[in-house]
Amino acid sequence: MSNPFAYDFMRIALALAVLIGLTAPAIGTFIVQRRLALLGDGIGHIALTGIGLGLLTSTSPILGALVVSILGAAAIEVLRARSRTGGDVALALLFYGGLAGGVLLTNLEGGGTGLQSYLFGSITSVTTEDLYVVAGLAVVVLAVVALFGRELFLLCQDEEVARASGLPTRMLSLLIAVTAAVTVVIAMRAIGLLLVSALMVVPVAAAQQLTRGFRDTMLVAMGIGVVSAVAGLLTAFENDLPPGPSIVLVALGLFVAAVLSRSMGRSLARRGGSGRTLPSGSEGMANAEVHR
Amino acid sequence: MSPAAAPFRMTGGRVRLDGQEVLRGIDLEVAPGEVVALLGANGSGKSTLVRALLGLVPLAGGSTEIYGVPPTRFRDWHRVGYVPQRLTVGGGVPATVREVVSSGRIARRSRLRPFASAADRAAVRRALEAVDLADLAGRPAQRLSGGQQQRVLIARALAGEPDTFVMDEPTAGVDAASQAALAGTLRTLAAQGSTIVLVMHELGPLEPLITRAVVLEDGRVAHVGAPPEPEGECARPGHQHLHPHAPESAPTPLTTWNPA
Repeated sequence: MSNPFAYDFMRIALALAVLIGLTAPAIGTFIVQRRLALLGDGIGHIALTGIGLGLLTSTSPILGALVVSILGAAAIEVLRARSRTGGDVALALLFYGGLAGGVLLTNLEGGGTGLQSYLFGSITSVTTEDLYVVAGLAVVVLAVVALFGRELFLLCQDEEVARASGLPTRMLSLLIAVTAAVTVVIAMRAIGLLLVSALMVVPVAAAQQLTRGFRDTMLVAMGIGVVSAVAGLLTAFENDLPPGPSIVLVALGLFVAAVLSRSMGRSLARRGGSGRTLPSGSEGMANAEVHR
Repeated sequence: MSPAAAPFRMTGGRVRLDGQEVLRGIDLEVAPGEVVALLGANGSGKSTLVRALLGLVPLAGGSTEIYGVPPTRFRDWHRVGYVPQRLTVGGGVPATVREVVSSGRIARRSRLRPFASAADRAAVRRALEAVDLADLAGRPAQRLSGGQQQRVLIARALAGEPDTFVMDEPTAGVDAASQAALAGTLRTLAAQGSTIVLVMHELGPLEPLITRAVVLEDGRVAHVGAPPEPEGECARPGHQHLHPHAPESAPTPLTTWNPA
């Protein structure tokens, strides 16, 4: 078994994995609560056009992806807010336009050799410059979550209450979409654009099996994200696989483990006859079921 | 903006939703310290009216003011506490009772102060105690009963320490014990001089607190009056009856009003 730390590219890739594992679930917690689980997926499709533009103009594919995915995220948010009906058709047009444009542009550029690595991630292609850019972007994402977390929490809980509390809900919605776009760009080199959304959603889905509060869910999801990204990357390195799929499969494995441990905890509590009764008002539980 | 301005004043308010006229010219002024019940059948426009009063739905005609300022230019949102009809589940990320209630402080907190102050924490604790949920503060709010969830939403509004409360059917789907607890909370608020606007389906145990009832019918104000004389429920022995009956009370008592 070779030592992954002996290789420069692996040290860079592992640093990337930690940054991705922290940032994607952090913004992902808000995205899941807003029922926008597929937002990252859509942005990933659109970002591909940015990569194509970057390659074609011989500038940086990362910067191209950043600019185009931020514009795309803003467009998605405007469409979402404006239209009640026909919104998802407009979104589909944007997603497939982005994907088709990206594939076309990368093929024009060089026969589409780099396409696979952008779609499903690649370890060996990451450079030190990539790492610096990604680290800077990760700081931006974590700063947004730290500075605006309370506002975003209320927005995701109830948009009308947020407005009646004087919050600029449109700006905050846009902030979530743009931060998601930045996260997509952070994660695209290692995980790939088609799977990037998984690391925003799956660790959160796993964490919420185990937690009671919003902040705890976010922190546990970030832990699961880091473990998935690092373990998946090492597995990919050992077995010469693309990193994106192995990272996502590790995350899914942790999700299944979380579901199992929760249901085991429940049946144990039931057998013990202890625990899950509420001190007062438990007669209203039937009511809570109706509201759900 | 003068401090004595009415919490809400709507003149000729019209609201159109999906091409349908839901409010057809509402004139309503809520004075400081009033406890106003908005009554009416399903689809009469009650919920739309409170949302329009708060500027959450745009007016197609007429005007409305919060403390003398149109909602789009209103800045003192900490003076208003909105209690929506129910706790949203969203994507299912859990949130503890304390997290939900603490978010009610947001209009009072400064951007420059990232952490909760002692005043914030004290206000959250008082709000939780007022609705008798201090013991459940660490529980996921979404897994409480309907009545308990309603109390969480009220506590969230209480935590912001507003002057005016707007509550959309706080008693809907709430068991009798929670309704009584809610009536107690509202009685305290009213005694402190808070202004309260309540959307309701029926008056129930809150009846003695109401200073004015506004009945909506088909997007119009069909009836305005003092609440009914105490009888039935209200007149039973031991009933705490706190509001004085003004001599100019109800020309047409609401007891005769029939929503059908």
